[in-house]
Parts: sequence; structure tokens; C-alpha cells
Amino acid sequence: MDCYTANWNPLGDSAFYRKYELYSMDWDLKEELRDCLVAAAPYGGPIALLRNPWRKEKAASVRPVLEIYSASGLPLASLLWKSGPVVSLGWSAEEELLCVQEDGVVLVYGLHGDFRRHFSMGNEVLQNRVLDARIFHTEFGSGVAILTGAHRFTLSANVGDLKLRRMPEVPGLQSAPSCWTTLCQDRAAHILLAVGPDLYLLDHAACSAVTPPGLAPGVSSFLQMAVSFTYRHLALFTDTGYIWMGTASLKEKLCEFNCNIRAPPKQMVWCSRPRSKERAVVVAWERRLMVVGDAPESIQFVLDEDSYLVPELDGVRIFSCSTHEFLHEVPVASEEIFKIASMAPGALLLEAQKEYEKESQKADEYLREIQELGQLTQAVQQCIEAAGHEHRPDMQKSLLRAASFGKCFLDRFPPDSFVRMCQDLRVLNAIRDYHIGIPLTYSQYKQLTIQVLLDRLVLRRLYPLAIQICEYLRLPEVQGVSRILAHWACYKVQQKDVSDEDVARAINQKLGDAPGVSYSDIAARAYGCGRTELAIKLLEYEPRSGEQVPLLLKMKRSKLALSKAIESGDTDLVFTVLLHLKNELNRGDFFMTLRNQPMALSLYRQFCKHQELETLKDLYNQDDNHQELGSFHIRASYAAEERIEGRVAALQTAADAFYKAKNEFAAKATEDQMRLLRLQRRLEDELGGHFVDLSLHDTVTTLVLGGHSKRAEQLARDFRIPDKRLWWLKLTALADLEDWEELEKFSKSKKSPIGYLPFVEICMKQHNKYEAKKYASRVGPEQKVKALLLVGDVAQAADVAIEHRNEAELTLVLSHCTGTADAATADKIQRARAQAQKK
Amino acid sequence: MRYVASLVNADKLAGRTRKYKVIFSPQKFHACEMVLEEEGVYGDVSCDEWAFSLLPLDVDLLSMELPEFFRDYFLEGDQRWINTVAQALHLLSTLYGPFPNCYGIGRCTKMSYELWRKLEEEEDGETKGRRPEIGHVFLLDRDVDFVTALCSQVVYEGLVDDTFRIKCGSVDFGPEVTSSDRSLKVLLNAEDKVFNEIRNEHFSNVFGFLSQKARNLQAQYDRRRGMDIKQMKNFVSQELKGLKQEHRLLSVHIGACESIMKKKTKQDFQELIKTEHALLEGFSIRESTSYIEEHIDRQVSPLESLRLMCLLSITENGLIPKDYRSLKTQYLQSYGPEHLLTFSNLRRAGLLTEQAPGDTLTAVESKVSKLVTDKAAGKITDAFSSLAKRSNFRAISKKLNLIPRVDGEYDLKVPRDMAYVFSGAYVPLSCRLIEQVLERRSWQGLDEVVRLLNCSELAFTDMTKEDKASSESLRLILVVFLGGCTFSEISALRFLGREKGYRFIFLTTAVTNSARLMEAMSEVKA
Repeated sequence: MDCYTANWNPLGDSAFYRKYELYSMDWDLKEELRDCLVAAAPYGGPIALLRNPWRKEKAASVRPVLEIYSASGLPLASLLWKSGPVVSLGWSAEEELLCVQEDGVVLVYGLHGDFRRHFSMGNEVLQNRVLDARIFHTEFGSGVAILTGAHRFTLSANVGDLKLRRMPEVPGLQSAPSCWTTLCQDRAAHILLAVGPDLYLLDHAACSAVTPPGLAPGVSSFLQMAVSFTYRHLALFTDTGYIWMGTASLKEKLCEFNCNIRAPPKQMVWCSRPRSKERAVVVAWERRLMVVGDAPESIQFVLDEDSYLVPELDGVRIFSCSTHEFLHEVPVASEEIFKIASMAPGALLLEAQKEYEKESQKADEYLREIQELGQLTQAVQQCIEAAGHEHRPDMQKSLLRAASFGKCFLDRFPPDSFVRMCQDLRVLNAIRDYHIGIPLTYSQYKQLTIQVLLDRLVLRRLYPLAIQICEYLRLPEVQGVSRILAHWACYKVQQKDVSDEDVARAINQKLGDAPGVSYSDIAARAYGCGRTELAIKLLEYEPRSGEQVPLLLKMKRSKLALSKAIESGDTDLVFTVLLHLKNELNRGDFFMTLRNQPMALSLYRQFCKHQELETLKDLYNQDDNHQELGSFHIRASYAAEERIEGRVAALQTAADAFYKAKNEFAAKATEDQMRLLRLQRRLEDELGGHFVDLSLHDTVTTLVLGGHSKRAEQLARDFRIPDKRLWWLKLTALADLEDWEELEKFSKSKKSPIGYLPFVEICMKQHNKYEAKKYASRVGPEQKVKALLLVGDVAQAADVAIEHRNEAELTLVLSHCTGTADAATADKIQRARAQAQKK
Repeated sequence: MRYVASLVNADKLAGRTRKYKVIFSPQKFHACEMVLEEEGVYGDVSCDEWAFSLLPLDVDLLSMELPEFFRDYFLEGDQRWINTVAQALHLLSTLYGPFPNCYGIGRCTKMSYELWRKLEEEEDGETKGRRPEIGHVFLLDRDVDFVTALCSQVVYEGLVDDTFRIKCGSVDFGPEVTSSDRSLKVLLNAEDKVFNEIRNEHFSNVFGFLSQKARNLQAQYDRRRGMDIKQMKNFVSQELKGLKQEHRLLSVHIGACESIMKKKTKQDFQELIKTEHALLEGFSIRESTSYIEEHIDRQVSPLESLRLMCLLSITENGLIPKDYRSLKTQYLQSYGPEHLLTFSNLRRAGLLTEQAPGDTLTAVESKVSKLVTDKAAGKITDAFSSLAKRSNFRAISKKLNLIPRVDGEYDLKVPRDMAYVFSGAYVPLSCRLIEQVLERRSWQGLDEVVRLLNCSELAFTDMTKEDKASSESLRLILVVFLGGCTFSEISALRFLGREKGYRFIFLTTAVTNSARLMEAMSEVKA
């Protein structure tokens, strides 16, 4: 117990700081750290070293080497630097390495030394060179700020969405500032710089001089400044060995400290934890490390070798040639439990559990003590929390064991916090492993979220571990395992030395039918690497044919795309492919392709009908579809053409087509129509009025109505209008004219082919009872009753019906007998019926 | 699309700047965007998609409101709506759980069904484990049963549709119905109490019912005479509103009935019905043919004539060549040559065909089967090539007993079977199929009928083995009509449901009737 707090160092009354080893580094550094440009990514990220920087004025013939290591010192990449001199290195939030060159070009490399892209920080930089650069992190992503040889600042708040912002000039700035840093306030990036005794704050509009409140007098220059991880606090180191600590807004002073060392520190970083009241700054010189805070004394460490500080969310990582350590403020829970002679419930619980294991009755005493104070719940929570902050698994275990022991005596303690802590710790221990080398603390892990952590594992190509974590945490497959598998597959297709066959098979074996895996995305990646064949093979595995199409189109496999689109049944997709094909192929080939795809063909026809009538014609021509061709021309004859001649010509073409289609009937009908059109034209010329576009029937009717009976007859003969029709036609037309005389003449011209009942009907429709009666007498016997009823002669109808002895007719007449007037008739029928029945 | 583009361009020329929004329903087509791009207005409009699929017209009727479906699919062979249908099915199955039993007949049905299955597979997991709420699904292509759709409707709702055209569940009654100078828009669904009671009735009953109702209403009004103040207050506050409402509805429907009566008697409706029945039963074909001829000669109505011709063709397995020619000639003479295209359309859809001389049933069949196998090989250039589809109506009618034996007068007041929707002369084929299949729980035993329908490979049953469907859900049946259904069919199935204790829910691409079918097939001058 005593030795556990041996590495705890008190700062002031209330806080302890401890430093423990994360890894012993076994990287094989050939040169001192101080000779390298160093960049370490936060959140236990990788370390980049660029050896042999140019500032040492060494022989230019030696090419420097860029090396990337994991936080545990395992080499990840190493490449010869072939580009220009580098001013600064830094990691973006996506763990991409940004290398700022002297000429303002920023080269972006992946974790494994793969070149990604580059961008420039502006033309102005080209002449003036970059003096200094910083990579900083904001809520939008990672930004780059540079200081040019002309002492101007340019920054971009997000390298992913590059927008350069040139900061205003600092008045009277002749030499480079002694120190500067970027601040992030109100979602905007600012620059704070120190020139001699003055501080200036640059925002995009203006440059303003600022003074920190309560700054000790006698400062002639600022040697170092540091902003906390969250941009909330600022520390200034002056040439008098005085450290000012306050808020980043420079409105409030938190504390100050005088270390009496005038040498400029190598590094100064904040060391604080979220939600803690303690503020401390770690200052590093060549061989000395000092933690200063709101206390008269500081904590001092001796550095045996060159070290480098990496600020973290809740502490500072310190790595050197041989070790990698973590320095942080001891969290409250741990402090309460482990502080010497602590009587906190957690401490008692831990003790109780230990005694219990020793089978000592003291366990009961301790437990009782906690329970009497009613603090058991609190004790369990404390143990759980403290376990999270422990680095060593054995300590985690003993704390968790204590928590679970305490839990037994609680009725209703929700188990999820305990379970979740166990899970989290397992994950953390796994990734902290030397081979993985991501030394995340519990707070960092919570801040980073499991999703980001998985992404980082994927980025390091640690697919199996990522999958195991997903499975262990039971993440939904789509978010977890499938996503990782897809990433793996995307990586796999980039391995150029493996044959297409093998890659495709390997991928399919691994991925199988995992839900949410998009083979098309993987195929797109393969295509991006120039492996079209592989892409096609991969697409075969894609179950949704709809997804295959766009990529196939992109790869110019349009015909395959077409059949896939048809398979998917999504007509819109088919359309897309069709239109694509149309532009890609020449007409003949296009049509030939269509011929083999009936569905596509019918779709395309539909499209042509609305958009490109001419193409439609060509389509029919190609297919020798004369029937449709004929129809097409017929449509054209009345839809497209205005002039009679044009219409006749269109009809002629149609007729020819119909003949070819062996549709004689249609051909004849078309020819008739041609004749009719010409005739109608002539009629219009001779008689005036409107004839064109009337049907034959209507034409004849119009003629009759116009009193041109002769012509009407002639027309009827020419076009072989059947007699029945002609009679109906004339009958209606004459009745409409109310030309009763003519009608009578017509009725007597010869025996009516339609009988005389229609005459009666039509007359009655015109309400001419008189005329109707005339014809009623001429109606044949079988329809006589109907005719008589129509003209309203019920009595006579009854007589005829009785005469016919027709039951149905009798009923019909009877149904017409209404009112008193017909009572007699009704009687008569009833009697006749009775008689008939008697017989 | 061109129209929209031209609007935008006109505005541009005129120097106006407006915001344009195009809403595509039910689906945005890539081709439309292309047009916009070609016209150079793509950047000026913003596009949105309204995945509108199902419109509930009534408590048991869902419509996709795709009247163009019929022409697009059955005539042009355009399959773009199949996706929409599958989406709609998918939507229903996500809402109501998986469908344990599915039956279907027809090519379009099959394609839609397969596509839907695929959709389900892609998105599996969600519906699994849910208790199915709909026990049976029955899908049916319109072309399986044209006859029913072609007959004149005589149930009230169907008649109203035939006469006034019901649009999206509401109808515009003109001045002749409302007996005022304003026309009235009436929503026709189960909310309308009066309508709900008469919608499925044969028209001959409707008048009697309405007058009875009117008397009841009067009696209720009369009750207030003997009331004291308190009762009166009660009456006014509670019942009067309902009565007033009922009164209003009643007068509307009486007006509609009168108007229908007037129209129908004027056009020799009786004759027409008689001819139809003769066609259905297959006697006195000659007289019917000449009746149709007369019909055409007199220019009664182009659509009606066309309808009768189609009915004749389907029931008679195509017209004999002489009639085919003469009727066509007559029709062209009456209504103009553009109908040459109409005839070609009808022929393609199999609605109006010519009897191929010497073509026996088996010959046609071999042709059909060849078509099917060819299609499988993917060789056939046009699946909808002008193959004379045989209807075999007569044989089917015999097999399924569609024409009920008439012994004595058919009592339309107390219907015995589904034939009542056609005055007892004919049981709708589509409904009979559904009845039979539901009874057998599969197509088994109906092989012959299926063969006669030319659907040998297009009928399917799909049953899930696990029987976790509750008995209540098994009573619930979703009937899907691809290409539209008529109100008569709905009425007939409602009747069947009452008889057998089923509850039917209808999903149709659109509510249709004979006139709409014919219009879809007609070429009209632009």
C-alpha cells in the first residue's frame, strides 16, 4: 500500500501528480531527438521523426529520412525525404502527417508513409519562405498556421476544407516574434504573439495589443507560451524566469510562479485534467522537468536524456530515447482511495475486500463501518471509477474486485456501470498493448469514442483486433464488423501482387454475406486502383444489382450494366444506362444491343415516343416492324403534318408499310382515307364549309344536312357504305333537319333495310307523333306492339298483342298501362290472358 | 418535362426570375433530369421526389392512382411501374408484418412479386418475427380477366362511376343531379352512411331502399311534434345535425339515381344489357353482332361500341374474319381513320382479335408455350409481340361455372352469389378465381383453368410453413389488382367476404371501368 503512492508528488495542498511508465521504447534511434523534427499525435497517436533537418547546415547530399513509429516505438514507416526542406511536422485529427515545407507546400502522408496529397499555403510564401509553422486542432478539424519570412501569418482552420486566411500585419514588426501560438476562441482561430515585452492578438480583422492582468513587472521578453489542450488556459514564460498562468482570453490570472531559471525552456505544456480545479504547467529544459502550479513549491524531475512532451487531454506524455512516460494529476477517486490513511468509503471497501480474501474478520468490521455511514454505494462507485484510471491491470483488477465485493451487500445497485467499466478496461488494455501501442487513458478513450478508436485501428490495419473489439462490445454489425471488413477488403484490393482471382475469392470468403457490406464500394476502390477486372469480379458478389450499375457504367462496361439494370427491375436505372449507351455507341450498335433486351427496347420506345419520334421510326425500320411503322405514319398524318399533300404522302407511306406487313385491311383503310381526304378537300373548295378530318359517316351526314343528297349518294356508293348505315344516316339527318317530306319520300324509295321501327323511334325523339304514326303502321308484325307503344297507342297495341297471343308482349303492354285512361285496356288484356289460359 | 422546361425558358426570356420546384411522383426518373439538362434549365429548378404510393380511398380500398399503368404495361409493355408496385407491397409488409400466404396470376404479377421479394431480402431483419396481420395476399393481372371490366356495371357504386366518373373517391354531380345550377362535389366512401348502405346493392333495389330511408327520416323529423321543450332541446342539439346530414345525402343520392335512370332508359339500356348477357352466355351471336353493327352505324357512342366489340371478341375467342373486317370498316367510317391505331392497340393487348382460321386450341397453346420457353432463353425480341392471345372464355366459364343456372327469377334483393353484381347473369371471373384459390389455399385443382388463361407458368402460390398467423389475420385478405379493378368486382368480393366471413382489402393501381379501359386503348387526335 505504501509503495503504491511512492510516485505521487504533492503540488500544494490539494493535488498530487504522478508519473508512470507507459512503454520502454525499443526504437533504434540513430540520432538524438534534439536533432530531429518531432511530431506526436495526441490521443496516444503515432510519432513522426524527420532526421537530419536542414537547419544544421549539413551536407545537402545526405537525404533525410522520415520515420513514423507507434507510441510504443514500433516502426510503422520509413521513407527517404525527397522533397524540399521541412519546417514543421504535425498530425491532423485523422492521423495524417502534415509536413510543412519551407516553400509553403504542405505534404500529407498517411500513417504508413503513403503519400496522400499536397496543398500550398499561398503564393506569397514562395518568396518569403516559411519561418515557423504550427499544426493545431479545432472543433472543425486540424488547422495549419505559418509564419513567413515577412513576419506575416497565414492560417487555415481546416486542412480538409482548405481556406487560407492571411492575418493582418503587426505594426512595426521588424524581427520574428520571440514566441507565438494559435488560440481558438468563439469558433475562430487567432494568433497570439510576443515581441519583446509586448503581446499582440491577431484575429482576421485586426491586430490588437494585449496585456495579461497581474503580470509581474520587469518583463522584457516572453520566451515561451503554452495553450492548454482545450484552449482554455494560457501560460507565459518570461525572461525573468517568471511564469504567468491565466485564461486564454487574457482576462483573468489564475496564478503565477517564479522558477528563477532564466534559460529558455525547451518546451512548456499544460498538464490538467478535465473538470479539475488544479492547474499546472510542465516546463522542460534540457535536463530538468518542472511541474508548477498554484503552489509555492514545484515538483521537479531530472531528465536523464533528451525528452519530448506531448500534451494530452488529461496529462502529458513524455518520451525519450528509452522510455515513454505519462505524467498527470492523480484523479480524485484514486486519490481518495490510495491517499495514505484515507478513510474514504472506497479506501475502506478496498481494505475490506483484502481482509476478506485473507479470511479475516476485519473485513466485516470495515464493511460495517461503511454501511453505518451509508456510503456503500458511493464506495462501489469510487472503486469502479478509480479502476478506470489505473494503468496496471493488477490494480484495475483489485479495485474491480473490491467493487464487486461491495456490490454484493447492496440491494439495488445498477450493474451497468460496473459491466461497462470492465468492458472498457478490456478494450483499453488490449490497445495499450505494446504491439498495438495506443496508450489511451480512460478519459481520453471516452472523449475519443469507440467509433473513432475503431477507425484508428483500421487505419493501422489492425483489422482482427478491431473486429474482436466489435464482437466483444456487441456493436451492431453494420456499424462494427461489417464496416471493418469492408475496410479490410478495400485494403486488400490495393495489394497489387495478388491475382484478381485470389483477391476476389479471399474477400468473398471473409465477407460472405455480412450485412451492410457494400461490395460495390470495394469494387469502386478496386477500380480506383486500376483493377477493372477485379472490380467486375467483386461486383458479382453484390446482391443488389442496382448497386452494380453506376460503377459498371463508370468502367465502361455498359452492356453488362444494362443487363444488371434490367435484372434489378428498376426502370429508372435502365433508363440511365440506356441514355448512357446511346451516347457511347453508334446508332447501329445501340439498336443491336437493344434488340437483345426486350425490356430495354420497350422502355426506349416509350422514351422515343415522347422525345424523339424520328428515332422511333428508325427503330421500327431496323426491326422491319412494318405494322408499327405504318401506325407511326398514320399518327404522323394527323399529328405532325398540316398540309393535305403532306398528310396524303404520310398515309401513302403508311399504306406501303401495311402492305409490307401483310396487313391488307389496314392498307386498304389507309388508301380509303387518302381518297377521302382528297375528296373532302375538293368538297371544301366546291361547297365551302368544313369537311377535312371528318369521318366518312360525318362527311355524308354533313352533305345530307347541307341538302346535297346527290353528292351524298355518290359518296356512299364510292366508299361502299352499306345500305343499313346509309338508311340510318339519312333517317337521323333528315329528322334532324325536320324535313318530314323528304323523309317520307326516302322511306318510300325502296323497302327499308332496317325496318320501320327506327323511323318511329326517331320521329318520337323529335316529338313528332303525327309522322311517327305514319310509320308505325308500316312496322312489321313482330315489332308492331313496340311501335304502337312508342307512339303511345296503348289500346291498339293491346289489340295487336292479343291477336298475337304473345305472353311477353301482353306483359309489356300491361306495364305501359298507367292511369285510369288505360284501365279498360288493362282489363281487356287480363281477360284475354284468362281466356288464353283456359284454352 | 419539356413543358416545364419551356415554361422556365419563357420566363427567362421575359427576364423574370422565379424559384422553380419540380415534384416527381411517385418516382424521379433519370430521363426527366436529362430533359431538364438538355433544355438548359437543370440548374434553375430544384427537384424533389414524393414517394407517394398508396392513397386510401376508403376503409378497404387503397389506390395507387396510376391510371396510366394499364396502357403503359398492357399495351406498351413498359415495366417501369412494376417497381412502384413492389415498393407499395413492401411498404404494406413493413407496416403489417410479413404476408404468410401469397397467390398470384399473370405475368406482371409475377414480376412485381419477384421484385418485391428481392426488396424484402435486401432489407430483411425488420419484418421478421413480426406477427403477420394480413393472412393472404392475392395478386391479379387485369389481362387475366378483361371480361368483367368490360361489362356494364349495375351495382350502384359502379353505375355512379360509369355515369359520372368517380375520381379519387369523389364525384362531381352536375346540375341535373343537384337540381340546382351548381354542381356538387361529393366524397363517396364509408363515411357517407346512406351511400355505404346502397353502394353494393343492385341498382333495381336502390330506389326502394332510398324511398324507405326517406320515409324513416320523415318519421324521425315528425317525432318532434309531440315533444316538450326539453326533449326538443335535446333533439336539436343531438339528433338534428345528424338528420340534416342524412337528409342532404339522401337527396343527393336520389338525384343521382334519377339522373342515372334517365340516361339509361334513353339509351336502351335494357337492350344493351341483354346483348351483353347474350355475349356472356354465348347464344344468339349473330343478333348480337348485328346489334353492335347497328350501334356503330348509329354513332351511339364510340367507347360503348368499342367495348361491345371487345366483349364479343373475348367471349368468342376472337371475331370471325368477316365480322372482324366489317365491324372495323364500319367503325372507321363512323369515327375516323385514326382508330386504325386503336384497333392495332386492341389487337396487341388481346382485347380485339381475329380468329385465326384453322387455329385449334392446341396450336395456340404450343405457340404460347414456345413463347414462354423462348423468353426464358432471352431470345424473343419483343415479349409483347402481336401474339394473338386466346381468351378461351367459353371454356373457362364452363369450368368455373361463371354463368349461374337460372331457375326462375333471380332475386336481386337477396343475392345468392356474386353474380348479383351483373344482375345474376355472370359471376366475375376475377372474383371467382379468388374464391376458388382461397378455398383450396393454392392453385391445385385449377390447372386446367390456369392453362386456359394462358398463364401456365405465371400462377404461383407461396406459403410459409410456420403457422404463426392468428386465425383472425387469416380472415384478412389483401387483393391486389394490377391494371385496375372495377367497383363491381369490389362489390362482389365484399359480398363474398360477408358470406364466407373474410375481410377483403383492395389494392389497385387505379379504379377503372370499361370506358376507362377503352379510353386507354384509343388513339385520340391531339
